[in-house]
Order: sequence, then C-alpha cells, then structure tokens
Amino acid sequence: MTAEVFNPHILGFFCHWCCYAAADAAGVSRYQYPPNVRVIRVMCTGRIDVRFILEAFGCGADGVFTGG
Amino acid sequence: MPIVDLYNERLSISRAPHIDYVQAIPSSYYIDPKACLRINYETCNLCAQTCTAQAIDFNQKPRKLNLDIGAVVLAPGFGRIDQSVLEKYGYGRFLNVVTSMEFERLTCASGPTEGHIVRLSDKKPLKKIAFLQCVGSRDETCGNGYCSTVCCMYAIKEASVAKEHNPDLDIALFFMDVRTQGKGFDASRERAEDKYGLRVIRARIPRVDQVDGQLALTWTTDDGKSHSELFDMVVLSEGLNAPEDAKAIAEIAGIELNHYGFCKTSVDSPLVASRNGIYVAGAFQGPKDIPESVTQASGVAAMASELLSEVRNTRTVTVSYPEEDKALASEKPRIGIFVCHCGSNIAGVVDVNAVRDYAGTLPGVVFCKDTLYSCSQDALKDIANKIKENRLNRVVIAACSPRTHEPLFQETLKSIGLNPALIEMANIRDQCSWVHSQEPKAATEKAKDVVRMAVAKAGLLEPLEQTTVDVSPTALVIGGGAAGMTAALSIADQGFECVLVERSDQLGGNLRRLVWTMDGEKASKVLDDLIKRVDGHPRIQVMLQAQVEAVSGYVGNFTSSIVKAGQTVVVDHGVIILATGGQEYSPKSYQYGKNNRVVTQLELEANLAKGKGILKNVKNVVMIQCVGSRGEDMSHCSRLCCTQAIKNALKLKEIKPNLRIYCLYRDMRTYGFSEDLFREARKKGVIFIRYEPDRRPQVIEQDRKIKVRVFDRLLKDEIDISACLVVLSVGIAPGGNEALAKIIKTPLTPEGFFLEAHVKLQPVELASEGIYLCGLAHGPKCLDESIAQAKAAAAKAAIPLAKGKAAVAPIISRVDRDACIGCGICESLCPFNAIRLFKVNKRRKAETITASCKGCGICASHCPTLAISMGGFTDEAIMAQIHAFAGEKCA
Amino acid sequence: MALEWASAAEAPRFVELITGYVSDIKSMGPLGTAEGESEKDVIRMHLKAGIKAASGRKVRTALGKLAKDMNKSNDYSPQVISAGVAKKVLPAFRKERLTQEIQLCLAEQGPCENADLCEKTGGGNKEIEKILETLSKKKLVKKKGSSWY
Repeated sequence: MTAEVFNPHILGFFCHWCCYAAADAAGVSRYQYPPNVRVIRVMCTGRIDVRFILEAFGCGADGVFTGG
Repeated sequence: MPIVDLYNERLSISRAPHIDYVQAIPSSYYIDPKACLRINYETCNLCAQTCTAQAIDFNQKPRKLNLDIGAVVLAPGFGRIDQSVLEKYGYGRFLNVVTSMEFERLTCASGPTEGHIVRLSDKKPLKKIAFLQCVGSRDETCGNGYCSTVCCMYAIKEASVAKEHNPDLDIALFFMDVRTQGKGFDASRERAEDKYGLRVIRARIPRVDQVDGQLALTWTTDDGKSHSELFDMVVLSEGLNAPEDAKAIAEIAGIELNHYGFCKTSVDSPLVASRNGIYVAGAFQGPKDIPESVTQASGVAAMASELLSEVRNTRTVTVSYPEEDKALASEKPRIGIFVCHCGSNIAGVVDVNAVRDYAGTLPGVVFCKDTLYSCSQDALKDIANKIKENRLNRVVIAACSPRTHEPLFQETLKSIGLNPALIEMANIRDQCSWVHSQEPKAATEKAKDVVRMAVAKAGLLEPLEQTTVDVSPTALVIGGGAAGMTAALSIADQGFECVLVERSDQLGGNLRRLVWTMDGEKASKVLDDLIKRVDGHPRIQVMLQAQVEAVSGYVGNFTSSIVKAGQTVVVDHGVIILATGGQEYSPKSYQYGKNNRVVTQLELEANLAKGKGILKNVKNVVMIQCVGSRGEDMSHCSRLCCTQAIKNALKLKEIKPNLRIYCLYRDMRTYGFSEDLFREARKKGVIFIRYEPDRRPQVIEQDRKIKVRVFDRLLKDEIDISACLVVLSVGIAPGGNEALAKIIKTPLTPEGFFLEAHVKLQPVELASEGIYLCGLAHGPKCLDESIAQAKAAAAKAAIPLAKGKAAVAPIISRVDRDACIGCGICESLCPFNAIRLFKVNKRRKAETITASCKGCGICASHCPTLAISMGGFTDEAIMAQIHAFAGEKCA
Repeated sequence: MALEWASAAEAPRFVELITGYVSDIKSMGPLGTAEGESEKDVIRMHLKAGIKAASGRKVRTALGKLAKDMNKSNDYSPQVISAGVAKKVLPAFRKERLTQEIQLCLAEQGPCENADLCEKTGGGNKEIEKILETLSKKKLVKKKGSSWY
C-alpha cells in the first residue's frame, strides 16, 4: 500500500426500528463518527438477502455493516 | 443571555430561547419569558431578526379560551421533595450530596457532563458513591408517610448506568426494604446486583457529614453492629411529592385530595376523582412507575370514551384528497429533488448547493431545488407547486430522517394526487451533517452518495395501494374475573358488542375469594355491582363454562371457536382482551395441608368472614411472607401479599386486640399509600422479623402443637415462636396460560404470565396487533391496579372498533403466485403469522395476509424462487441502491 | 462483514460499534489486499458466481430450510448457526458457485483445461470433474480434447 490513507467504502443495512433509529438518535445527540458508511434502510434485518451482501462486495464495498 | 438550565437540574446553563432537550415534542424552540430581554426590557430582539424562518413573533399575547368539553383528565404528575428535607442530609451545604434527579442528568450522555460522573465540588472523577433511599418518603417528620414506590428501582437503574460508564466505581445502596415489586423488577435488580457488584445495605442513614472533603456515613445494621464509611458522592433518592399546585387544581376542578395532597380515589374506581366526569391518571393519583402511569392514561381514555360514546365522531374534521393521478405515476420517472438546508443544521456542514447541483446531473432527475426548511408550511406548499408545475412523478427529499418526516412529505404528495409511496428521503442531517460536523468535505461527499442512492431507488418506486379492512365491531373478552368484567363493561359502555367467556360456572374469579378490599370495604359489594352491571348490559353476551379452543384471523377480523357444554360456537370479533387471571399459589411445605392450623391469607379471610371461630383459643398468630414467591418456587414477587398480610393483621387486631401477631418477611413491600397500614400495624404491636432467603422460616409440628422457627438477626440465633395459627402469604401463580398462549401464538414470560408488547410504553398490548391484556394474566397486582388496567385494555381495544376500518401499511409483502412453489418456508418463518398457504388447483401457494404483515421482509429474503416482493423495498430497488452506492466502481 | 444489534435507544452503543467497525476495516485494507493484487480478479469472479448461486433455488431452499429448523428449535446461538450453515448450506452453495464460476470462466476466458478451472475456481479436481459432467449432460459445456469450452 502507498502512504495514502485508506478510506474504506462501507455499506450499511440498517433496521428501520432499531439501528436506523439509533443512528438518528446519535445525530440528535451530536455524536461524531467516521463518515465512511452509506446506509440502506430496511424494515428489518430479516429483509437482507445473501445476494445483497455479495452484490455489495462485488461492487467494491470494503465492508458491509448490518445493524439490527 | 445565559440562564440556568432547569431541565438539567440547574447543572448547566441555557439561553432564553431554548429547547428543553433534543427529544422534546414539539421539537421547536421557545423563549423563557422571565429571562428574555425583549420581553422584559424591550431591548435585544436579536432572535427575531436572525430567525431565517421568521418564526418569532413578540406580538403574541396570552389568550383566554372557552372550550366545550365533556370530560376532564387530570395528569399533572408529581411534585418535588422540599429543599428543607434534602438539607437534613447535607444537600446545599455539601456540593457532593446530589439528588437522584441530578444524578440522572449526570449519567446522561446529552447531559451537563456528557455522561461523565464527576464530583460537583471539583469536577474530578470519583470512586465511591452511596445511594440513600426514602428521602422524603416513609418519613412522617416531613409529612410524607407514604412510600414513593419508584425510588428503589430507579436507584438500582442509576447505579447500574453509573457502573456501565465506570466499572471501577464502588456503589453502596442503603435500603430499609428493597421494594422492587414491579413486573420483572426483582429479576433485573438481581441481575444488576450480580453483574455490577452493587452493595445492598439495609439501614436508614440519619445524616451526612463531611470529613476532609469526603462524605461520612454512619449506620447500624439489624444485627446490631455499627458501621461508618467515607464516600465521594451521596445520591439522595428523593421521593415523589404531590404536585406543587395540587390544591389549586383541586379547587378549580372541584375535587377532593387525600391526606397527602394527592387526588383522592377508591379501590373500585381508581381513575375517578370525587366529581363526575373528572378522571385522574399518573402520579397525581399516587406515586407510581411508568408502566402503571401509561396504563392509567389509557384507562382514563376509556372512561372519557364511555362518557362521550354517544357523541363520538360528531366534531371530527376529515381531510379529503384529490383523486390519484395514476397516469402520471405510470409515466417514465420524472424525479424531482429538494435539498434542505434545515437552517444551518445541514447547510452549516454540508455544501447544500453542491449537493443540489450534483443531484441535477443524476439520471432521471428533471428538477432540483434547495429549500431553507423543507418541513415548514411555506416550503411544503412550494414543493407541492413545483411537483405540479414540473409534472414530477417521483420525489426525493434530501433532509432529515424518514422516521420522523416521511409522513409529512407523504401528506404533501397525497394532497396533490400523487401516491404517497412515490417519495424517498435521503437522510443528510441526522446521519450526516450532525454526526460529521468536523468534516464538512467528507460530509458533503457522503450527502452526494446518499442522494445518488435515494435517486436510484426513487426511479424504481411504484405506487402502493393503501388498503383498509373492515372491522367486526365486537370484542372477545376471555376471563370473567374483576379485570374481565371491567373490560367488558367498558367496551360495552363505549358502544360496542362484547362476548365475555368464563371457564367456570360463575363470574367473579379471584374477587369471589376476597373478603375485604385494601381500603377496608367489603369486596362482595364490588363483585355484586360488577356482576349486576354485566348481566344487565344489553351489549354483553356472557358465556359461562366456556373455553376458547381456536382463534384465527388478525386485528379487525378474528374468528374464534368457543366450546360450551360440548357444543362449539363460532364468534367473529375484531379484538381480543385476555383477562384469564391467576391463581393462589398452593404451598408444598410449611405443613400446609397437613395441619389445619396452617392456612393461607385468603383462607383466613374466608374464615373470618364466617365469624370469629378460627380465633377461638388463639393467642399467637405467625404470618410468613413470600411463601412460594421470590425464588422459593416461583421467581417473581407477588406484589400484593405484603399489603394483604398487613390488612389481615389489622383485621385480627381489630377483632382481638390482645392477639400477638408476628410477621416474618424479607422486604415489606407496602408501596404507595399502603405504607400507612404498615405503620399502623407496627403501632398496634404487630412484630416484624426479617429473614434472609437462605434461612427461610420452618413450621414445626410437635406434640400436636405448632411452632415456627426463624433466625433472629439481632440474637444471632434461631428462635422458636409457638403459634396457634400460621398464615401463609402464598402469592400468585400464573393461571395456566400455556394452552391459550399457543392458541393465540403469543409468548409468555419465564414466570408464565403473558408478555406485553413493551413493558413500559405498551403495557396492555400484546406484540400481535388487536390482542390486549389485563389483570393477573399480566402479572400479580392489587384489585385497583387490575381495574385500571382493564380500563386501559378496553381503551386500546376500542380503537380499532371505533375506527371501523383498519388501515394496512402498504409496505407489505406480495407473493407472485406463478413463481411460488408452495415450499412453506415463508409461512414457517413469518414472525407475525402473516403468510398462509392455500391450495390452487391442487398446488400449494403462499399468500400474504395483508392486515397482519409488518413488512419485515424475512419471507422475501428466504424465498427459494424470489417469488416475494416487498412494497417500497423491492429487490430491484435495493440492488439499485447498492449499485448507486458503488457508483462508477460497479461494472 | 459485521452484524450488530443496537436498539433505538442506544445511540452511544451505535456510535461505538460503527467507529470500531470502520477502524477494523481500515486496518484490514481494501478487499483483496490480504490476498494480494493479482487475487482481486479471482475474488471478483468468486463473488460474481456467488451472487448467481445465491439467486438459485437450490442454495436458497437450503438456507430457507435451515432458518425453518432454527425457528422450530428456537435456538439461534452462533454455534448452531455456524454448524447449520456448514452442514446444510455451504455444500450446496459451493457446488452452485463452482458451477456458475466454471461457466463464467469459460465464457470470459475461452477454453480451459480441468487443471486451469481448478486453479481459477479454487475447486478440487474431483468436484470440478463431477460438475463438468453434469454441465455437459445439460449441454451447457462441451469438451474438445482435454479442453472445455
């Protein structure tokens, strides 16, 4: 690797009722966290299909974070 | 101008225009008139000038409104304990003596210290904390003889939160009795003591001293030993007072207060103030925890709804919408995007103009605009106009969270004839500008990505049909005890039909066995009144010796089979109320059943009702608490036995004042105003001896005489008390709920009671919609609590009945019948029983039960043939989001 | 890949989890780094075939059945999940993935020999042979000499 800082491209699948709500609450409380995650909201982590995760990696995601 | 922040218990400062806390509803700022320079001195006016939304109007004046109303609900909450009471414990003199309310703020991440617990004297971290219970409670010297009910549990909670923040803390809690009698409270207290190593000490601390900057406590334990120890901080668990303006409220409303200044109510009508049409809920009725407050709040809604049932829907305002433009929706997507500044909330971090310009370059986007506050009335109108002018058929709002604001924008779409499903929100505030405020560049990039993903999804959004189902306007109430009858009466008084099913041959349940209520009234009076009203009610159909055998359907449309005398009756109904009760625990030890001088509290009552025969030649009575409860056979606390025992002890003393009564207990849990009875019993000479769970009392029979052996902590030895009569406080066992739980597919708690949807916020609802819960089926509780809860269940159950139609969220699953192979995986995995299999031409096919589906998508992600799609969350839409996430990276 | 739980009220926990995850990924480097630059294409091929495999009925049925069993036994411990996946899902998935990957290889890179295919797909000689046999029965691949196309 070069000296360039690696800035990972991470996809998040967040449950509407739990993790997405927690992420909103983090915003309301002005917590700070790294800006590397892009979020897809689903109504439940049960919605997440294996294909979505493979597709994300196939599309170049450096990580997939599923939050229930 | 800085002012003290009252929400943060004066531990931080705020400004005249402020918002109490971030989750406040409404979430708009308000101006403290006491501190405002413009209001008081006609100067400043800065806020009005700088508010870009021009939302501040100093010309507003208080107005008097005259409202025509049918019922009044009093819910003013509780008041604070007097400063003078706190001062007895050094509060005010010693900075590190804090109230539990202040400590709560200190432990809060959004509080004055951002969740760091520090000594207020020097803002330094600390090591040792002591919690002093019963400050301003159970204390006649300050006029508060009652128990505040909630402090034991909240102290445990605060101590746990503190330990979670800082595991090295040493925390001691000083209790007289540990009163964690709420449902599941004992279990969580034990977990907390175990996990966090909290020190529980049974002593009342009389005073706090300061020694070399530390706080010194001295106490005596019940083994007679004296102790003293230094702490860094002392937390005063302050009790709940009557509201400060209780007297004024009482005068205005024309109602009576009790001797502690709380609203006066009775056991059989716990929610009714002393004037018709005025109801009370929450701590004003007596100190109580959140679940009971929420329950009472629903309960009073039922009372008001009963009173006003005849005029229901007479003053409602209905909104009408234009017809949906289906042709426009089916055209090629014309996406419009609105990027919100949210004042400086977003624009202060994210380059909104850059995001807007970028959005304009995305495929399918034909219109883009930035808005100052998208959710303001003006902006919503403007959005509606722009949608019409540009014939937009898909809309992306890049602003805040869809969780809070999507319904608002969906309304806007509906108001101009667009299907509300055609909107997608990009969350560039809560999950972007607010959390990356130090990295504006990265936040702008993230905002662009999020917008790109939203646009990709928007292009694939399809109109979703908003379906409604008709509701069968009948309630099925299972169980004909006090709770079931109260619920049935409330449903019927609210104007709906009700079928009341009771498995025995008469109504009444456990109330039949009760002789006196806690306030000394005859229980038979309450029972007879309930039965009379149920029997005479034209809208209640009572089915005795009947049992529910099967339930199918969903909210609004249940069908149940009820077996009565070998015949099966089928009933259609819209809702179910479970009021199946509980049962007296039957002890397996203490010589119960072997010796007729050993009886339960209820048996004692029944005997006393017949006459004084049972007390003939009786000189000594020993009562044993927690028989079967709290870890002996059942893990839970049965909540009412302590008060029941005291009530009966006082009755015995009334009949035979010279009787010696011993009460062997673990913690006397006479919470709330029942503490008065406990004090009275002590005054009348009832002897209380505490035992530890590892040394439970024994009942020994010797030469046809009984004695009770108990370990005396002061003498440090076992003592034998000869007893002419032993009364066991046996507690409440669940009423064999397993069979019914299976029928309605609902979980039970480990103790065997029905599990509510949310312990605090949905205490009478089950997780399955349309099924409600009250009485002992939910957990042990007193008669007044059962009645309040039954009213609450009736209020909740009446909602779908009154609406007449149940709306179904359109994000549900849909099965493609051609692709379905009938494997049944979806049916077995669905957590809501919302997919069923049926036969079409001899082949099994799955079908969504629209009213039951919650849109979780487990079925779709597990379908072998990809035959199931989710409204608003299709595979295609999610895949498009994934591809948009990757941008050019994805081939 | 991470799976975490944070309830709606747990903003601090969420922040902790997400910060931790980002830093974990940062320390691991981009996907395929650990395996080396040249392996990136291979991983991409694996993923492409994997997606196709995960869309197929066989793998999805295996997964669905496993979920059904766990639902029945009400045991969702990580051990049970790993064991179940290893026993019931992975064999089907591997076979499907290899099947897809062989076809992808042949389509993208032209005729290959058995050994080539083994190397590219990471499959064993015997399993590749077996799959090729099935594929040729279905007339999806053909053999010319020792090469498949």
